[in-house]
Parts: sequence; structure tokens; C-alpha cells
Amino acid sequence: MLAIARTELIQIFRNRLVLVTSFIIPVAISVFFIYRHEVFAELATLGYIAAIVMFTVGAFGLYTSTVTTLASRRQNLFLKRLRSTAAGDAGILAGLVAPATIIALVQLTGILIAFGVVAGGPDNVFLLALAVLATVAMMIGLALATAGVTNSPEHAQVTTLPVSLGVIGVASWVGITGTENLELLKRLLPGGAATELMLNAWNGGVALTDSLLLLAPTLAWVVIAVSFARRMFRWEPRR
Amino acid sequence: MPPTPVIEVDHLNLKYGDFHAVKDLSFEVRPGELYALLGTNGAGKTSTLETVEGHRTPTSGTVRVFGHSPRDRAAVRPRMGIMLQESGFSPDLTVRESVGLIGRLTRRTDDVDRVIDVVELTGKAGTLVGQLSGGEKRRLDFATAVYGTPELIFLDEPTTGLDIQSRDDLWNAVDRLRENGSTVVLTTHYLEEAQQRADRIGLMHQGVFRREGTVSELTRTLPAVIKFTLAAPAPALPLQATAGADGSVRVETFNLQKDLYVLLGWAQDHGLELGDLSAGPTRLDDVFRAIES
Repeated sequence: MLAIARTELIQIFRNRLVLVTSFIIPVAISVFFIYRHEVFAELATLGYIAAIVMFTVGAFGLYTSTVTTLASRRQNLFLKRLRSTAAGDAGILAGLVAPATIIALVQLTGILIAFGVVAGGPDNVFLLALAVLATVAMMIGLALATAGVTNSPEHAQVTTLPVSLGVIGVASWVGITGTENLELLKRLLPGGAATELMLNAWNGGVALTDSLLLLAPTLAWVVIAVSFARRMFRWEPRR
Repeated sequence: MPPTPVIEVDHLNLKYGDFHAVKDLSFEVRPGELYALLGTNGAGKTSTLETVEGHRTPTSGTVRVFGHSPRDRAAVRPRMGIMLQESGFSPDLTVRESVGLIGRLTRRTDDVDRVIDVVELTGKAGTLVGQLSGGEKRRLDFATAVYGTPELIFLDEPTTGLDIQSRDDLWNAVDRLRENGSTVVLTTHYLEEAQQRADRIGLMHQGVFRREGTVSELTRTLPAVIKFTLAAPAPALPLQATAGADGSVRVETFNLQKDLYVLLGWAQDHGLELGDLSAGPTRLDDVFRAIES
């Protein structure tokens, strides 16, 4: 797994297009949100900015780059090549996904620390870490599922749009309007519960046990996405 | 007692939806031999090979490699090297990185630079795979297959796209591996390579084995052909012959030396000249054509 992850990291840094679109642009957008945090805080809360930053990196960095990577590696038969070795399927996928995941976690850590320094820190760092980890797990699960229905890197530009725009939209909806109305619907939508968890972690004012319950819908999305991926994921291109 | 086969395929069937690609196929590959799996386009040889490699699951039947299911990668793959029909390398990795990665994942040990040198890509070791020619990619593919000198090597169309020198180099490398005891399973469209190199050949057509055996066993099933033209009317031939559409005379024989001797004696006795005379043993491509027809 480590050998695959190492070469995957090399490929990310050699491919400028992937580097810019998947890793630099999300950071640039996040920097903009932090820079103009007073404007966005008037619209909602600081927790909303933290949530939107988390989903910007999670959707456009981690999720999109993972789907594109898996589709590309399948299309040029690299996945088949890896399966010609003694490496197991789980190890191959872990190796391919690990670099983007680690980059996303490093980005989020840096961005949220910077946000805390600029705008004031979160109420509960433990909850914040849980929100980030649960969201990252959900985005990886959704990426594996989406890769199953994505034929090529070009196709990924289309297939990733519903989830990318969907989670950003849900995060904005929940972040701006809260969950007083349509509470169940907002929590069940992908990203809804994670956004509320991030709001609680940053803004405070909600009991820890109530916040922890919000992990359940997010982790349920992980289970649903991985189940879908197990049925739909292909290791070779369609013939 | 015969040695335990390296590969055992027993009543293998493969279906893709309604299409029955491989039908009730059974064969064995013995230790140290070079077994060639040949067939017409769509005969099912790649499906068979990929099932034996562990890339596909049989619809029914069993496949055992070293006594294990080929899908048990941890048990089987460290002992086998696979040269795929298509490249499957990342264009953004160098030759050295590609060989190092795949080599390490096979769990065999070898010196990356030595393997690169075997396929004469030392000068390209730092070059990105995306910048290699088609022939260089085939050599890279071969390098990953032979990394660590595996006991069993699958070569799927190994010389396609290679120039003559590279083909010779590849076959010399295969010969060295066989001297070390490696078993080789080959598919190729170059029948002369199979004829020259294979210990045994399985000929597939439409998903089934039509023939299996050594080259001499396969070619023995068809007559050799003597062909010539006659400028003037001649007395009755001493052998059974047929007239070709181009005016030539065609004699089919299972005893080429004896019948050729008889024919030449007849021509000598009657003062006849046999124009465009050709005679040769049955070749593998004759067997191939017979199967296709």
C-alpha cells in the first residue's frame, strides 16, 4: 500500500492540472472565505464558514480528485496492472486514495488553524476533528461509489458535479438557515449532519451528546456509498 | 510418477451474458515447459489466459495454479509474472519507478537496474513512461513480468510491436529463464514463434480446444503438399493428385520424402520438367487454416 501511495503522490505532483484544480484552487477559495469572514459571518455564523471551507476541500479537492484518479488509472489499465501483482484490492484502493486524503487533511488542518487565528478558535476542537474525519470518510466513500459509474477522467467532470455541488449546497442551506425547520430532511441529506456538527463544534451551545448523534447520518452515508461501490466498482474499462 | 502440473484447468466455462466465450476447456501445463495457447480472433484464448492469471472468475469449472486458486493473489502472484497484452503503466512515472513499484508489489526481490538492463532500457530508466515508444513499453512490460525470476511467466502477445532485434533479445531472455526452470505460457499471433519455441500447443477456435499437442503431433494430422506445373501433357501420375485452379498440380502426402522421391523419379523417367516445384512439411499455419475452415 505504501509503495502505491508513494508513486501516487509522485504522480499528483507531476500532473500540474490535477495539482492546480484539485489542490490549489480549493485552498484559494478557502483563503477567500477566511479573508472575507466578516461578510460571511453576517450572513450566517463563523461555523458556517468552517463548514463551507471543509466541504470545498472535501468536494473539489478530495472527492473530485479521487474519482478522476480512479477513472484515469482504470482507463489506462494501471488498476489491472496493480491487480497483476500480489497486492490485495483493499491495499490497492487504500494506496491510491491515501495521498489525496492526507493532502486534504493537511489542508483542512492548516486552513482551520488559520481561520481560528484570524476569526477566533472553535468551541470544541474534539468535535471539530470528528466533523472533519467523518466528512472525509463520507467523501471517500462517495468517491469510490462515483468512480464505479465514471468511465474516464473526462467523464468525471460530469459525474462528480451532483455530489460536489450537492454537498456545498446542503452545507450552505443548513449553515445559513439552521435546522429549526425541516430538521430531519436536512440531517439526512449528504453533508447536512456533518455541517450541523461543524456548526456545533465551532459555535458551541449544543450538548456534546446531541452533537455526537449527528455522526450517525454521516457514517450511514459512508456505509451506503461503500455498499454501492462494492457492487458498481470496476477494475477494468468496459469492453 | 509425472511431476505435479503448474497449471490445471478442468472443464472451464466462461460466459459474458449470453455469449459463451470458453466451453468446457481442460488442459495442464507442466513444470518447465513453454505452453502456447493459440487461436483465431475471438477464440477465447485471452479470456482463458486472464482466468488462469486470476483476472476473471470462471462461470464454472476449476483453475488451479501451483495448487491454489489463481485469485488467491497472496499465495500465487509472488511465484508468477504477468506480461499483459496492453501496457497498463502510468504515463507520469519513470521506467525505474514503474519497475520498482510493480516489482515490489510482486513480493519478489531483484535489482531494479539489472532488470531494466535485461530489456535494454537502461538509457531510458529516468524517462517517463508516457514518452516511450510502443516497443519500449512492451519491453518495460516484459521487465516487470520477469522481475525476480518467477517460476511461472505469462506472455500475452509479447513481441507485438517489437523490431527483430528486440524480439531476438526477448526470446533470448526467455531462454535464460527457462534454463533456470521457469514455466512459460504464451499467446501470440506469430505462429512461427510458437512453432519454434513451444513444447506444446493448444489450438482454440470458438471457445473450444480443436487440437493440443507438440508441434510435430499437430502437423502430423495434416498432409504435406507437393505442388508443381507441367508444360506439356504427361502420362498418368504415380501419385493421387488434384488440379489447382491456376493449372498447377497438387499432391497431398503423409510421407513427403518417399512420395517426392517417387515423383522426381517419374519426371526423370519421362523427361519432364516440374515447373515451380515446391514441397514442404506441414506448418502450424496450415493446421491453423484447417481449423478455421
